[in-house]
Amino acid sequence: MKAFSRLLPLFVLVPLCYSAAQLPAQDWVQAGTNNGAARIRLAAANFKPVGGDPQTPALKATFDATLYSDLANAGIFDLVSKSLAPQSTPGSPQEISLPEWSAAPANAVMVTFGALSASNGRLVVYGWLFDARNTVSPQVLGKQYNEAASQDMARTVAHRFADEIISRLGGGVNGIAETKIYFVSSRTGSKEIWVMDYDGQNQHAVTHLGSISLSPRISPDNTRIAFASLGSGGWAVRMFSLELGRPVNFPAGTAGGSNQSPAWSADGSKIAFSSSRTGDAEIYVADASGGNLRKLTSFRGPDVAPTWNPRTNAQLAWVSGRTGLPQIYTMDMDGANIQRMTDGGYAVSPSWSPNGQFLTFSWNRKYGPGAPGGQDIYVMDIASKRWLQLTHEAGSNDYPSWAPDGRHIVFERSSGGHAQIWSMLADGTEQHQLTHTGSNFMPNWSWK
Amino acid sequence: MSNLLEGGKQLEQELTPEPIIAPAAGSLAIHGLLAGSLVLYGILGGYFHRNLWGNPGAGGAMQVNLVSSALPLPADQPVNNNVLATESPSQAPAEPTPKAKQAVDETAIPISGKQAKPKQQQMAAKTPQHQPMPMQQNRAQYGEQAGSSMPRAMQQNGSSGPASINVGDFGSRFGWYVDGINHKMSQSWVKGEVDPRTPRGARVYLNFTIRRDGTPADVQIDRSSGSTTLDRSCQRGVQRVDTFGQLPSAYNSSTLKVSYYCEY
Repeated sequence: MKAFSRLLPLFVLVPLCYSAAQLPAQDWVQAGTNNGAARIRLAAANFKPVGGDPQTPALKATFDATLYSDLANAGIFDLVSKSLAPQSTPGSPQEISLPEWSAAPANAVMVTFGALSASNGRLVVYGWLFDARNTVSPQVLGKQYNEAASQDMARTVAHRFADEIISRLGGGVNGIAETKIYFVSSRTGSKEIWVMDYDGQNQHAVTHLGSISLSPRISPDNTRIAFASLGSGGWAVRMFSLELGRPVNFPAGTAGGSNQSPAWSADGSKIAFSSSRTGDAEIYVADASGGNLRKLTSFRGPDVAPTWNPRTNAQLAWVSGRTGLPQIYTMDMDGANIQRMTDGGYAVSPSWSPNGQFLTFSWNRKYGPGAPGGQDIYVMDIASKRWLQLTHEAGSNDYPSWAPDGRHIVFERSSGGHAQIWSMLADGTEQHQLTHTGSNFMPNWSWK
Repeated sequence: MSNLLEGGKQLEQELTPEPIIAPAAGSLAIHGLLAGSLVLYGILGGYFHRNLWGNPGAGGAMQVNLVSSALPLPADQPVNNNVLATESPSQAPAEPTPKAKQAVDETAIPISGKQAKPKQQQMAAKTPQHQPMPMQQNRAQYGEQAGSSMPRAMQQNGSSGPASINVGDFGSRFGWYVDGINHKMSQSWVKGEVDPRTPRGARVYLNFTIRRDGTPADVQIDRSSGSTTLDRSCQRGVQRVDTFGQLPSAYNSSTLKVSYYCEY
């Protein structure tokens, strides 16, 4: 990574030929790239505690740890280690000495700092983001939060502030610090739908149906969960309203046969799922209300696990066994233009990236008796069909799901008889285990 | 008897020597001629030696022309657009050879009253007129340095304009936003789309506008790199970007003009 692009003189060019009266109210910026850009060197100072409230130290500790972890997990920062950062805790722009942070060993390009106080049950946080190289107008961001004083709220405020920083420095892509991950857990005895924060905190059950619930899919507006559930009539696609706290009707998903693997369209108006009501598992699309059912595929062999192209809402990727072992295919919304994406092996569980450019799926490229292949997570560029293996020789990996920022993937890894939820960056680095209790399956990252 | 006579005749016929000299001489002459013509051919062939390979129509061989200049092989040297460091030799005319001094006959006796000075003054007046011409031709017409000096001049001029405060200092005020453009572009520009025969260091310059909400618009090629694949991949890189992020709220204008290059 050359520092060349960074050191580029960022000239501002205004054509001299314009007369003063015709001057456009806009600037010229000159920039360029050759070998890509390095991660931004960011320092997160410990926030300054203000006031003598006994709650403050505990809240500050939670806030600092959460903010640091959010920024470290963002995937776009080279975060200054706390041991290299200066000891000072500037609480306001007047107190910070930028040369101290931009000098070695911190070498920070950006510094975030602020003050936190708890008084009368309110948590007040002032946060800033400063450009350490810019001595004239260093402020990039200034935020103030005033919430009820609690551990949860301290974590939420840290998430919000981290998302602001990530959105500002990450080119307008919203951070994921406030997103949720829905998954299936059997830790209470029966398989129920659970939810947790993106970093594995705050895990709790959503459904208490006492049966088997699988493949949860949260709606784009975070109000409903579609999932497959085993009832008296076999497997049915059902709907759970988070606003009402109970299952709601979804008539299209309860016909005979096995109905499974629902998927929301990005506008929340349609649901695709697989159903074997005609004897063979095929892909169907229905309105989110459960009406207007249409059958998309009609081939011998199972067609399951649809996923929408969230960018266009006009394409589906799914798993088909029409040639024997399951493979990933894509097609248009009307069932035309079918393309096979994988060239062999055993490929399942596709998930389409938010920008529409990639598919991630689970693939055993050397499937069969005596074959040494493992079930691993792959990412494929749809246009070129070139792929990248993200997990290597670590258990059996399945059910990948993209984060809304397109930089993270959550997936299920089972090794030693226990399945757990893991997350990683979309290049396979920074793998973190999120769940540790019981067995946990089939994660699904919320849309926002 | 007659038999004996006939036998004697036969013997006489047989004993009579065949004429050998004339045929032998003819044979010698022919061989000599052959040998002579061979030697002659060798000598003459040596004098008029020609290699017939590659000639049109010679033995059905193919004509081969050198194509070194047309071979589309990658250049080892990176393309250098700097006019001050070009590989090709300068087009400047060679320095004029100093004119030979008019021979002055030192032995000649100076003629009193005759002055040669006015002629020298004319020469001196002529030379400064000629000298600046080649200098102007070699001067760099454009370059980074010239660009950097422009905004300062504009800031002074622009103070009377309608957007006086902000014109020209976006890069210094919002360096982080410009870094963000670089980050976003380096992610969305796919180098694999570029023809690998494109020389390293080739650059395409684009102009585009960033709207208030961060979306790019009006993507145009300012200066082509000479490789259509590089030009197109850089253009696609911009078009692939949904948003560069909202323009900074402290920035008053509705759009930002960007001159951007992709270097292979």
